[in-house]
Amino acid sequence: MMNKINMNKLLGLFTLVILLGTLMAFMIPQGQKQGAKWEISQKYKKMVNPYKGNKSDLKMGKMLYSKYCKSCHGSKGLGDGSKSAQLKTHPGDFSSAKFQAYTDGELYYMVTVGRDEMKSYSKKITDDEDIWGVISYLRTLKK
Amino acid sequence: MKRLILNFILAFLVISSAFAQDTLKVKKVDKPVRSPWDSEVLIDNQTTLSPPAKTLEMFIQHRFGLINQKGIHDLYGIYAPGANIRLGLNYTPIKNLTLGYGLTKKNMYNDFQAKWVIVEQTRSNRIPVAVALYGNFAIDGRSNDAFGIEYKFSNRFSYFSQLIVSRKFSEWLSLEATASFAHFNMVAAGRNHDNIGVGLNGQIKFSPQSSIIFQYDVPLKIQGISEQTAFTNLNSAKPNFGIGYQDETSGHSFQIYITTADGILPQDIYMNNHNDWTKGDFMIGFTITRLWNF
Repeated sequence: MMNKINMNKLLGLFTLVILLGTLMAFMIPQGQKQGAKWEISQKYKKMVNPYKGNKSDLKMGKMLYSKYCKSCHGSKGLGDGSKSAQLKTHPGDFSSAKFQAYTDGELYYMVTVGRDEMKSYSKKITDDEDIWGVISYLRTLKK
Repeated sequence: MKRLILNFILAFLVISSAFAQDTLKVKKVDKPVRSPWDSEVLIDNQTTLSPPAKTLEMFIQHRFGLINQKGIHDLYGIYAPGANIRLGLNYTPIKNLTLGYGLTKKNMYNDFQAKWVIVEQTRSNRIPVAVALYGNFAIDGRSNDAFGIEYKFSNRFSYFSQLIVSRKFSEWLSLEATASFAHFNMVAAGRNHDNIGVGLNGQIKFSPQSSIIFQYDVPLKIQGISEQTAFTNLNSAKPNFGIGYQDETSGHSFQIYITTADGILPQDIYMNNHNDWTKGDFMIGFTITRLWNF
């Protein structure tokens, strides 16, 4: 009798997992495209992070990342944040060699000027030093 | 008790200048401290934070019924009648000046408010505290019958002004002390038109986006400004205590808490709160804000 009840529970759990799995398959974005190449001027490309190595800025960068970036880019920058599934373009993988090959100035452009779904954050993060702090933090996400 | 609170606030102001920020040594330019508070409001109070210029912020502030009236039978006040709500809009036209309008269900108060952050605490500790002035003017929006036989439009007016001194002590702790003055043009017989109060509020961050928030506002019983010969339950308001959880994202701030006063508007809290937190008179409340940057 006891074994029968346990078996029924197990079957119920199995069915639930299958149902949730089927549901998830529909929720995962099927047509999300990869981001196109960024067109960034030399002016930005040559910019250097003046606060590189500043621990206080890095700490603030981590906090700001958590507040403004994590919901799309994910806690480890893998592009798997809670909102990422709603985006038309995949937010990218910050841990990848491709992303880490961008210069600090190019990342500064992406944060402050932005494009399409990656909007400008210059009105939300108003201090330049804080933006550089975020960029310093992005460097720590390298695999 | 009041003396104790006053002493505590004075001690806070003195001690606050003795602490240094951990960012002190690496900064050459004396900038304001970062994120002294996570939100402009802290339960029923204001903070010394003003959003960046050209920010529009919408507020939804809600107070359910008292949790100790019917207990589980009205789900601790959540389904109780008489909940209070305020919908508001704030705009920051220039740095450190915020203007706002709100409409509260209780007495249909229409409030027009302004907050000016006079000085900001700096990272070098050259300025150890932030100082802000907050004021509002409210119009009671009930029907004329609520104001007696000799009705005058100005009887609907009430005012509130507050001095706020705050300090971010560390990355996880911010505290502020307030001194407030409330005035109603018309009050019921046996009550006072004016009152002065003090308060102590704080924010304890435990993650980049989350914090514990608390407030304690004390309306003072000062005979010198009282129109009555003695203070009674009718003409003196009770302290307002609240504690809760705050979560902040890029465009939202969310606070859920228990608090004592149902007024939402500060002059109502300092003049008309008769709930006693020591007897368990608490209500669940929440605040949601949404920010847009232009």
